[in-house]
Amino acid sequence: MASITLQKLVKKFGETVTAVAGVDLDVSDGEFMVVVGPSGCGKTTTLNMISGFEEPTSGTMLIGDRVVNHLEPGDRGLGMVFQDLALFPHMTVFENIAFGLRVDKTADTEVKERVSKVATTMKISHLLTKKPAQCSGGEAQRVALARTIITEPQVLLMDEPLSSLDAKLRIEMRTELKRLHEELKSTFVYVTHDQAEAMTMADRIMVMESGYVQQIDTPLGIYRKPTNQFVGTFFGQPTMNIIPGRIENSGSSNFVSEQFELGIAPDSVPGSALGKDINLGVRSENVTIGDEGASGEVRLIEPLGDETLVFFSCGNEDFLVAKVDAEREFSPGDNIRFSFQPGGMHFFDAESGGRLE
Amino acid sequence: MTNDANTRAEMSFAKRYNLFFWFRHAALMLWALMIMFPIFWMISTSFKDSGDWVTWPPNWFPSFIGGGYEPTLHNYQQIFTIVGHGESLSREVTEQAFTIWGAVRDSMVVSSISAFIALLLGTFLAYSISRFNVGGKYFRYMILTIRMVPPIIIAIPVVMYYAILIPFSTQAVLGIRISMIDTYVGLCLLYIATTLPFVIWMMLNFIEEIPKTIEHAAQIMGAGRIYTLRRVVMPLVAPGMVVTFLFIFILNWSEFLLALTLTQPNVITLPILLNKFQSAMEGRLYGPQAAIGTVITVPVVILGVLIQKHLITGFSFGTIRK
Repeated sequence: MASITLQKLVKKFGETVTAVAGVDLDVSDGEFMVVVGPSGCGKTTTLNMISGFEEPTSGTMLIGDRVVNHLEPGDRGLGMVFQDLALFPHMTVFENIAFGLRVDKTADTEVKERVSKVATTMKISHLLTKKPAQCSGGEAQRVALARTIITEPQVLLMDEPLSSLDAKLRIEMRTELKRLHEELKSTFVYVTHDQAEAMTMADRIMVMESGYVQQIDTPLGIYRKPTNQFVGTFFGQPTMNIIPGRIENSGSSNFVSEQFELGIAPDSVPGSALGKDINLGVRSENVTIGDEGASGEVRLIEPLGDETLVFFSCGNEDFLVAKVDAEREFSPGDNIRFSFQPGGMHFFDAESGGRLE
Repeated sequence: MTNDANTRAEMSFAKRYNLFFWFRHAALMLWALMIMFPIFWMISTSFKDSGDWVTWPPNWFPSFIGGGYEPTLHNYQQIFTIVGHGESLSREVTEQAFTIWGAVRDSMVVSSISAFIALLLGTFLAYSISRFNVGGKYFRYMILTIRMVPPIIIAIPVVMYYAILIPFSTQAVLGIRISMIDTYVGLCLLYIATTLPFVIWMMLNFIEEIPKTIEHAAQIMGAGRIYTLRRVVMPLVAPGMVVTFLFIFILNWSEFLLALTLTQPNVITLPILLNKFQSAMEGRLYGPQAAIGTVITVPVVILGVLIQKHLITGFSFGTIRK
């Protein structure tokens, strides 16, 4: 019973700054929920309200079926991993891990037993006598996790815990965290600004911007059906192509932008997109470079190994990007023709940025 | 060609750097000499007999390194044994027949007790200012402005307060006349009040070195505020507390003006005793005065060296990589 429910959660700082503007969220028991968004979007403030370090201006928070708004952080049954890890520098790794048990006045023999068990799980048994400053980044990370899970909290909160690690270690730790989630079966709420982290780890993702929830969905749901242009461009590498233009329907459908005109399958165009200014969003893997379509000129090539990114322009200096098989060879200056796959087009309202369906 | 040019450029840079290095060190040496000279003079005078105190030209060095005066421990004997055995002391001083020991005791008691209490109060105040924003945004700066008031401005009203207001009101309310003048408590209270701004200011720096997340981590594991303070915050600021204590101790140890106005004859701190070794009849007793001065200075120098060591660890203790 460790679901989390947020109802109309609002946090204002002073009169003018609204960090979180009404978040509604249901995290079910055992779910891995990732909260993602650019810096300043309110994701950390949301987490701090769940943990109890910030008091919400209004709204209700439930953990299980208990309202926790006025509970002390320590009484909420949470574990938390902090961005700076927040290990106690004056204590050994052993004492760091044992801290939660010491607070509960656990008997010494049990403390030893449980610390060594957790240390084995986290593969840090050899570090127990060291101080945190003597541990490497990855080791310190494991110590912080061990310290958090030893009290077996039902909910684990994580505030960008991997941001201090180098790229390789970060990817290793992602797998580690997922494994840990499988093992513990507790509820995870994970805050990050890294869309790749969110995509790879989450059961569901909540996307936030400027204090508002943009979308809550599974990683693939968000990738395939972004609810607005912000979400569409936030997820995916390279960034989704966005082309302003109009759909014109005179017998067959045509997408008309300043630079080019492209015929598209009529059944892929939502009715609400007809006859108004739209932004067409197309991911690089949905751009086909072939024998037909609009013409463009290759400007840049970025080989990724298995695939190649082709940046091309048509008419002006805005680049579009296509992801093509690495077998195909292009070089800057090549003239190409491109088209968009029918299922890979997203239509966003030019004014509101909302998805048109 | 280019290699040559590079080497030349490097050489001139090295030369310039060298020049700057020597200039900097020369300036610092000169400055150190100016600071050290009175201390040197004090120490050497403390080993001179009365005949050598004011000779001209001065006798710079003791005879065993080829100087002009015969070093003697006479001054030290005088101040450490009962004053009055010395033939050259004034009647005024002899009548009171005190030794330096009483003043050492008074100075130790007053300086350490008030430094300890100020440290305790100041640490908690600094914590509340840092973590709960007590007093508002600018409070920490306002605290320091208290130090802009010259001590003498405090001293006079406090004398009236201690000598008149408190005795009269205790007489009226309790029926006993309690005077705070010339007592440990009176002097300690004032020292605590005057040094508290320093304690708060210094401890603020140490406390703010501790990331809030470290306390949050303890709290979310169920630790209460007191437990967190005792097990997490205190151990981390301990070096800072040592430094602050020593710093405040030194301030109290060498304080003169407030002690002069608020004490005597019962409580006599070392700087006050120093001041007493002069009289209208015999003038300044430079030898014993220099000896007392040396005795006052030595612990301060030792503490200063200790502080220096702790200042480095104190200010640079790393929490965890950010």
